[in-house]
Amino acid sequence: MASLLRSLFLLLIVQSFLVAIAFGSNEVEEFSEALLLKPLPDRKVLAHFHFENRAPPSNSHGLHHHLFPKAISQLVQKFRVKEMELSFTQGRWNHEHWGGFDPLSSMNAKPVGVELWAVFDVPQSQVDTSWKNLTHALSGLFCASINFLESSTSYAAPTWGFGPNSNKLRYGSLPREAVCTENLTPWLKLLPCRDKDGISALMNRPSVYRGFYHSQRLHLSTVESGQEGLGSGIMLEQTLTVVLQPDTTSVESNMQPSWSLSSLFGRKVVGRCVLAKSSNVYLQLEGLLGHGSKNVDTEIEAHGLWKNADFELSLKPERVLRESSSFLFIFDIDKSSDSEPFDLGLTWNLPSKWSCQQAPLHASRFLMGSGNERGAIAILLKATESQEKLSGRDLTNGQCTIKANIFQIFPWYIKVYYHTLQIFVDQQQKTDSEVLKKINVSPSTDKVSSGMMEMMLELPCEVKSVAISIEYDKGFLHIDEYPPDANQGFDIPSALISFPNHHASLDFQEELNKSPLLSSFKEKSLVRSYTEVLLVPLTTPDFSMPYNVITITCTIFALYFGSLLNVLRRRIGEEERFLKSQGKKTGGLKQLLSRITAKIRGRPIEEQSSSESPAAQSSVLSSKLIFKIILVAGAAAAWQYFSTDK
Amino acid sequence: MEETSDRLNPGITPEFDPKTMRSTKPGLKRLFITSSVLFSFLLGVPFLWKSVEIYRSPLPFHDIDSLSDQLESTPLRFPCNFHAVFVGFRSTDPDNLRSQIQDGINQLTHQSSQCGSCDFSLSVTVQNREDQCSDTLAHSSTTCSYCCGVIKRNGFGVGLDDTVDESLNDVFSGCSENSGKMYSVVVVNKENANGGDEVKAVVGKRRHAWIVGNGLEERYGDIVARVSEIFVQAFMNGGREEDSIQGEFMPVGSDGKIVLSFSLLNSNPRDWVYDWDFQRIDEALLAPVTKALAPIANISVESQVLYHTPKSSFSSWDKKLQSYIFRTSDLPFFVNSNEWHLDTSAGASGRSKILQFVVYIPSGKECPLLLQLPNGEISKTNGFISPMWGGVIVWNPGNCDKDSESPSRNTISLQDLEQIVEIFLGQFRQLFGFKSEDNYTSGLGTYKILPSERGFTEWELDVLSRKHTCFNLHSCSTTLGSLSRLVRSLPRMIIKDEIGEQVKYSLKAAKLAQSNASLGGYSSSASSSREARSLAENAFFHPSIMSVSYFSYEHCFAVYSPFFLPVIGHVVLAAVREWKRYKQEKAKYLTWLTRKKTT
Repeated sequence: MASLLRSLFLLLIVQSFLVAIAFGSNEVEEFSEALLLKPLPDRKVLAHFHFENRAPPSNSHGLHHHLFPKAISQLVQKFRVKEMELSFTQGRWNHEHWGGFDPLSSMNAKPVGVELWAVFDVPQSQVDTSWKNLTHALSGLFCASINFLESSTSYAAPTWGFGPNSNKLRYGSLPREAVCTENLTPWLKLLPCRDKDGISALMNRPSVYRGFYHSQRLHLSTVESGQEGLGSGIMLEQTLTVVLQPDTTSVESNMQPSWSLSSLFGRKVVGRCVLAKSSNVYLQLEGLLGHGSKNVDTEIEAHGLWKNADFELSLKPERVLRESSSFLFIFDIDKSSDSEPFDLGLTWNLPSKWSCQQAPLHASRFLMGSGNERGAIAILLKATESQEKLSGRDLTNGQCTIKANIFQIFPWYIKVYYHTLQIFVDQQQKTDSEVLKKINVSPSTDKVSSGMMEMMLELPCEVKSVAISIEYDKGFLHIDEYPPDANQGFDIPSALISFPNHHASLDFQEELNKSPLLSSFKEKSLVRSYTEVLLVPLTTPDFSMPYNVITITCTIFALYFGSLLNVLRRRIGEEERFLKSQGKKTGGLKQLLSRITAKIRGRPIEEQSSSESPAAQSSVLSSKLIFKIILVAGAAAAWQYFSTDK
Repeated sequence: MEETSDRLNPGITPEFDPKTMRSTKPGLKRLFITSSVLFSFLLGVPFLWKSVEIYRSPLPFHDIDSLSDQLESTPLRFPCNFHAVFVGFRSTDPDNLRSQIQDGINQLTHQSSQCGSCDFSLSVTVQNREDQCSDTLAHSSTTCSYCCGVIKRNGFGVGLDDTVDESLNDVFSGCSENSGKMYSVVVVNKENANGGDEVKAVVGKRRHAWIVGNGLEERYGDIVARVSEIFVQAFMNGGREEDSIQGEFMPVGSDGKIVLSFSLLNSNPRDWVYDWDFQRIDEALLAPVTKALAPIANISVESQVLYHTPKSSFSSWDKKLQSYIFRTSDLPFFVNSNEWHLDTSAGASGRSKILQFVVYIPSGKECPLLLQLPNGEISKTNGFISPMWGGVIVWNPGNCDKDSESPSRNTISLQDLEQIVEIFLGQFRQLFGFKSEDNYTSGLGTYKILPSERGFTEWELDVLSRKHTCFNLHSCSTTLGSLSRLVRSLPRMIIKDEIGEQVKYSLKAAKLAQSNASLGGYSSSASSSREARSLAENAFFHPSIMSVSYFSYEHCFAVYSPFFLPVIGHVVLAAVREWKRYKQEKAKYLTWLTRKKTT
């Protein structure tokens, strides 16, 4: 009996092994959803939706899918995308109040408009073609004008200044793109539950777009399987980051506003997406260590964490994790149902104040100069308060230094003079060799490619401010190249400031379940911040000018030509003879003219010598006039007839 | 000028009247100047015309017209060789038989020459009881002739139909197929005393059919009619009803590709979630079909599972059937295009035709869901097709009761999947215009049709490739025709050389397809016709045409008229006046001369 059972068991094992072989691997496509809520120091609330969809390594990508969106997989297959990130953003991330040194801000603070970068797995010569095709496909997929990134004047190939070091990387951004619900809907279409169920059901369009900042992001990376003959796996990460202002009811101005999910979004979560492997809601509270208890060992203390004198949560968290400077409350929405929806709320009882961790340097960018001819761009880096505490300093030769990479794209009509690059450290001009560690410049070509500047600064730790300025001339565009609203000005895409030696990560010591959101926080991410978009006014021509010029010059030519021709064929002698003979008798026309002038002057007609009736003259004149009018009208009618005939 | 008549010219003879005469020759200087200016302007006109001319690649309009005329007047016909073998007939004259069958075929086709039909040549062999043959061969004698006596009268038709089909294939295997396909009908007259009156007619998987029965010689006319019916209905028309789906609705993309997109729709995953292992089905069941259809279209298969996809029509509870019912009148509203995101990314599929096949799993609120036909019966397949779009199959889970709170996760079993694929194959055949019944009944009797495991029998594939070639050529000629109409209607549209080249090559490929078709090369004509169509579409959808860079006459007029209108006025008027004056003055001079002569 036992041997029979064993053989049966063996058979089962063999069978399952065979099945595993038949499938290529026994992994299946996985989807997980998460929502992170975080009160911000400036009385706002951040909501970060995180969806992750993994397709295991397989040869059938783009062909057979269960959870993973087929359209994305087909794009990856078709254009051989190795890694790609696409973000749609409206509003500007407030680095001072919303944080600049945590994974959330370094990954989700994006420049205004559309940003796209992609790394391709194709030979170097085909990278540009793949990029162009990809932009078109994405623009169809996301209902956005990403296809404008197709032209070589709008994208660049960063080498090391951007982040991933690859020569098959292309980067482009469209600061002007208006982001709205038509971009969110196709983005939601990629989720298996769309916004029908689960956490994504919270995305009520009016409340999402009423926020101060929203950024929807799609990050795609392929994972090499390592096995021979097996394709690569795909990981699709979709995030939506929203900063919302809760409706305040309290009168006290220093009190943080209380909120709940239903007051923020106008909706509640009625259940998890049944297809998700995990669906959690997290609440992160920063900088409350002074008020809260210092250790979370006992049950009472844990209870006191979510219901204490400072604040109160409406639901009991499953677990509480702590990090060096923040607490993380974990909620499982599994238990919620239609009758008992999940509606997390936070009520503040006492005024509290905290600050966010800041990036070592705060970046801003502005324009200098006036007029439509030339100007200068300045990037200003200011030290933040939290700089002292930060790790990641580089001690070279016994000196403490901060490294900062600046990556900037210039459109070709901003003709930058790279030799005018000036760097001021603490208001003192420094030579390039002192602070500039590395610089890579690719100048723009008129109407062919955009310019790009990557530079690495090495600054002493005690630096207070750094200013970088560079001068430019404004170029002239061809009349066809102006956009319809040319007088609004032209955008210079955001510069990216990243700190290669500083990495942000949140490590919650307890790592029981492998939540994709938490593991993505745990990964060390490069601290980076984007500057403002600059608006450069260019000289715009009068668009009707060509026709005006044509008309005026042609009229002058015609006048000149006509008079010359008349002079050539004049017979002066004959005319004089004719005039002499007519001298005694004035012509009808002349008489009429003299009459008119007399009438204008208000005097009676002096000479009554001509007794011809003016009526006859005028009737002749009017018949001539009528004839002329008819002729012109006939010509116009004929023209109309022949032109409409086609 | 009347006033000047008073003036006296004392120096001239009294006969001289200055009003009508002049004594000097009129000068030519001014006339010369004005006319030279006018002429230089006129000379400049061609140069101006040349400079504002836009580039238009010359298109072969004449060839395009002649192609469409040719397709219109003489529909494309393929040579088919029909061969009828009569075994066990005592005294029948093959010539007589041949003419009778030919009459029968002509009667059935009504002499109509539809595009893609057969230009048949018929040969008849009669093998008498002593296994001696008398042949009547077609005009174009094929190298393939029936080897007399191979088919035994009494041994024939014993066993399974499939094996008979195979054996017939061996009999006719020596055929060379360089001039059309060869189709055969074997009629075996068994002389079996105890056999009934039953006549068995079978159409095989390949290109053969057979009729076996007792005492066929007595029902001679009937048999001849049936033979000609097999030739026409099966081998020529593929068992399709002529006007069911026209050739214009061939579901093949212009690049000759079909994407079969399978979607499993869980209308409410909160009730139950079903998944499938489609990859295995694709490899096992669909691969032979796609391989069989390879000469007609390049087929790729993809699948996905979608969730939260309710249908958009309502269904009603039927007490008698204990199930929810949707009717055929609801079908137009069944497909919910708002929630069913069936799309394939256009970047990946390009211009290929996407056929959607949807397996709909009803939610707990509408389970089981059945389709009621107009006659009140319940549909056996529980599915429907929408021409040129695809098909929908409603698949009810085995148990409609939701027992637990949490949704159950299931996988559709392989048997169920096979059933679904069978229904799909039927729908797929229907989209191509074929029926999926295993017999065909006409007024003369019933024919059994052997199904092929590849979905399509060989003679059906032949019909398809004939129709496909025809459809491609038609589409090519209409596309080129509209292109030529467009180009001719917009005389100032820029036409690039590329378009001209594509049109040229498309015409060339169409010519090649026509000549191949007349020679009987099925696959070569299909491939070149596909190329012709795709090139024609490429030319028509060329991006330079799409972004109509159109330099209109109005624009031209607006730019040049401010200069030329006033100047030309001056020039022409001056020239005309000078000419008139010269003529007048010359007349005066001439009258003076005559006067002078007379005096």
